[in-house]
Amino acid sequence: MALVNPDFAEELQAYGVDTALECFNCGTCAAICPLLFEHFPRKMIRYVQVGAKQKILEQANDLWRCLHCGLCTRTCPRQAGPGELILGLRRYVVAQARRA
Amino acid sequence: MAKRKQPEPKPAPPSTAKVGVYVCHCGGNIGDAVDVKQVCEQARRAPGVVVAREHMFMCSDPGQEMIIEDLKSGLVDQVVVASCSPSLHETTFRSVMVRAGANPYLYEHANLREQVSWVHHGPEATGKAARLVAAAAAKAGQLTPLEPLKVEVQPRALVIGGGTAGLKCALDLAARGQAVVLVEKSPFLGGQAGQLSRLAPGGETAAEVISELAGAVLAHPAVTVYTCSQVTGFEGYIGNFKLKVTRMPPEGPEDDERLAAVGRSGRGLGEYAPFAGVMPTAIPERPEEIDLQAGVIVLATGMRPYRPRRGEYGYQDFPEVVTLPEFNRLLAEASAAGDTLELQGRPIRSLALVHCVGSRQIPGIHEENEGGYLNEYCSRTCCAAALFAANLVREQYPKTRVFDFYRDIRTYGRGQEELYTRAAKKQAVFFRFEAGEEPEVLKNSDLKGPPLLVKVKDILTFGEELSVPADLVVLAVGQEPNNIADLVAKMKVPVGADRFLQEVHPKLRPVETAVAGIFLAGTCQAPLDVGETCAAAGAAAVKAAAILSRGYVELDPFVVEVDLSRCTGTGACVEACLADGALSLVEMEAAGQKVRRARVNPVLCMGCGACVAVCPENAINVQGWTLRQFEAMVEMIVSDEYIG
Repeated sequence: MALVNPDFAEELQAYGVDTALECFNCGTCAAICPLLFEHFPRKMIRYVQVGAKQKILEQANDLWRCLHCGLCTRTCPRQAGPGELILGLRRYVVAQARRA
Repeated sequence: MAKRKQPEPKPAPPSTAKVGVYVCHCGGNIGDAVDVKQVCEQARRAPGVVVAREHMFMCSDPGQEMIIEDLKSGLVDQVVVASCSPSLHETTFRSVMVRAGANPYLYEHANLREQVSWVHHGPEATGKAARLVAAAAAKAGQLTPLEPLKVEVQPRALVIGGGTAGLKCALDLAARGQAVVLVEKSPFLGGQAGQLSRLAPGGETAAEVISELAGAVLAHPAVTVYTCSQVTGFEGYIGNFKLKVTRMPPEGPEDDERLAAVGRSGRGLGEYAPFAGVMPTAIPERPEEIDLQAGVIVLATGMRPYRPRRGEYGYQDFPEVVTLPEFNRLLAEASAAGDTLELQGRPIRSLALVHCVGSRQIPGIHEENEGGYLNEYCSRTCCAAALFAANLVREQYPKTRVFDFYRDIRTYGRGQEELYTRAAKKQAVFFRFEAGEEPEVLKNSDLKGPPLLVKVKDILTFGEELSVPADLVVLAVGQEPNNIADLVAKMKVPVGADRFLQEVHPKLRPVETAVAGIFLAGTCQAPLDVGETCAAAGAAAVKAAAILSRGYVELDPFVVEVDLSRCTGTGACVEACLADGALSLVEMEAAGQKVRRARVNPVLCMGCGACVAVCPENAINVQGWTLRQFEAMVEMIVSDEYIG
């Protein structure tokens, strides 16, 4: 049973991830993503929302699958910028790796 | 009281009847399965029929004109239209009769669509159609002109319930120049809305809305308001309802709470007191009975918020679990400024909201409520109210986090989706649960953390189990209809499976009940928000005013009539009668002797015919549906003389 960590979303703001909570989990980004990979990128965004830091670090490789095609950002009905969030998460993961 | 022209006592003998038969193709609906030409041909052979015509669409203007011409030229006196079901077009063709200057009750309808072409094919279809038409023609030949019953209307409306709906309805009726009596059970005007603080989705205050409505009602000379009053006696019918209203000192914890709220507020009579409403007059010291008459009644008996069972989401097990209305009161007492919300000296850093509490309950999945029922409906208003509260908290107390647990977000109306978007912008975190896998509210074992833990199997996180520590859990409770079993029993208004009062037709007659002259306004009918309630109340006011301003109502004359030349006063009809007061035995003189004979109150008669079936003398008949007319129909159906 994972405890929700609401501080994580705030921690990520330094890496340019500041619209994750505007996502309402409709899944349009995952449907239009050419990777057709699990629930990518919504999965990562949801992990940000509930503060599942460990899950993001464990699945960090997936962040580098993204092709930067921009389809998700263009179609997001809430203008949550999923593509930009993935870029921000990469910056966060890199910073974590450097610190380690 | 009721007035009625007596119809001609003797029906015209069939030989003098001039029946016109008009058979409709209904496009191909009838014509494809029934040989309409042959039906017309056979109809011409039936006794009394002077003409039989066909048309592609009899309900079209040319079709109607054809009938009018035959009536005006004197060719026909009685009309049979053979077309779709009478529920669709009987009124259309009765009004054709009126436009031709004929009596609308010299009309008979044969259903060749639902009863023939849609269920039969081939020669049998045509054969059955011909028999139905011949039977209708035989009945038409026996018809006598009837006049609609005219009932005078008492120039007064009774509105039951002094909440938003009752106030708005009373005000709209008064604005149309009608006298209104408003009866409210509690000492307060304003109802449930009067006990709220701000109203979703627009954010208007209950104070301004209820002050304006109640102020205008109390100031209007045409409205008489009785608070602490209940309707304890009811009899009569549309136009002539006789009611007894009992005024008595209030009892019950709810009224005590609201009276205490008035005391705390320091507001006087006629002023709005927060979380109580407007108390227009002092509480009566002793019970008092008021008799009144009304032409129409509007039921605005309202709703109450669902009260969770003990232990439902930890309610009453943990003091930190409250309902949304309770939370709004706590919020009103909290200091308006500060980073973190503080309730009764306790900082609320994490607030959990749970949707659909007491709504959308599913048989077999959810536990039945006290009384053994489930609220299977969506209460509609709680999503917007919950999100409105979430935004209020996030905007006033930015350090108080909001976690929202929903089954579905149903922000259906104007301004509601914006609340949902704003909540996300304000960083509320949402979780979604399946029906039957509602979040659990538990004691937090981490003693340094908040007192509660909300555990949920979250669909949005791919079914993972998540838990959220919470300082306060707020339950967005739904709406339940107020218990008005006594009124329902007295007035015999229909109640739906959801226990709300039921309208005649949800789309075409949305504020009328099956009892003529009784209307519905507001949340006694379904869960509604304040704006929707005012719209419904306005609609009910217009329907009620239409009856009052006309001064009389016309009812179909299909009621029983006693043939005094045959009645021997057995009383069998009175015993069989299903409508209280419609039939009675009265004393009268006959051939110099005092006798007892049956008498009809035509306004109360439902025309069911229960009395006709039991009368040993055949001395009682439903007008427009007499036994003689039925016999004529049966004769034609079984006869092979005219129909081959």
